Amino acid sequence: MIAPEQLVGEEWAEWYRLSPVQRWLESEKLWQTYLALGGSLDPEPDTQSPFFDARAPRPSPADGRTGVRILRRGRV
Amino acid sequence: MGGQACVFYGAAEFSRDTDLAVLADAANLARLQKALAELRADLIAVPPFELKYLKRGHALHFRCQHPAALRMRVDVMSRMRGVQSFSQLWKRRTTIALPDGTKCELLSLPDLVQSKKTQRDKDWPMIRRLVEAHYFENIEKPELPQLRFWLLELRTPQLLLEVARTHMTLARHLAPRRSLLRYASSGNLAKLEDALADEERVVRAEDKAYWQPLLRELERLRHPN
Repeated sequence: MIAPEQLVGEEWAEWYRLSPVQRWLESEKLWQTYLALGGSLDPEPDTQSPFFDARAPRPSPADGRTGVRILRRGRV
Repeated sequence: MGGQACVFYGAAEFSRDTDLAVLADAANLARLQKALAELRADLIAVPPFELKYLKRGHALHFRCQHPAALRMRVDVMSRMRGVQSFSQLWKRRTTIALPDGTKCELLSLPDLVQSKKTQRDKDWPMIRRLVEAHYFENIEKPELPQLRFWLLELRTPQLLLEVARTHMTLARHLAPRRSLLRYASSGNLAKLEDALADEERVVRAEDKAYWQPLLRELERLRHPN
């Protein structure tokens, strides 16, 4: 019999071994951390989705700035 | 029916939107409208919030303005390609109770797998994880419906080989429905891997073709003149 570790590695095998409810609760913890760190609920555009409209206006960040800015650019 | 359902069944997705499958009838749409009003959810794209669009297979897109769900996207669908009618989905659903007593109704795993058979890259590894997780959860004492589900939906070649080797008669019986099972039955890993890739390509092309008329309709709604 194939063990999950052989196929997907330790980390995924551990995730598979959790019960569905345990997985749900673990993901809730991740959500709490994400939101505590100021993560936005606005999803990234999904360019492969049939609903994607390249011409649709994107919402601007609440504070008027994008979350990531380049402060210094290294040369190639 | 989206990211959190995938988490529950064993894949892992950090999805920031909420996808809902709903019964498309007038009374239910009125209830949905009330719930969306509580979330201060605005319709953010075409099509308009009308029953006929849900019935034709479109999705309705909302963004919440309630402080507790600020800017969260909610996508609502009623009909999905290759997926059974809502009444069938409802009969087969999984219900979970959260620690605070909130009940969540999720698509059943087979229905979730069908709904993920799309043109998008990200859905295919998800299907693989979902069925793998189910396999490892049930492999000690599998029941016939589970064996059938694995033979028809597994995307992990090694596991397909294993199930076909240990349940040869069933694999042969299902081969007319999934032709790549003949490679699984004969233990041909290389051919099986190629056939899985082909299978994915075909289904993704089918999904693109399915969406063509719907996309044309969306374009007309976006740019009526």
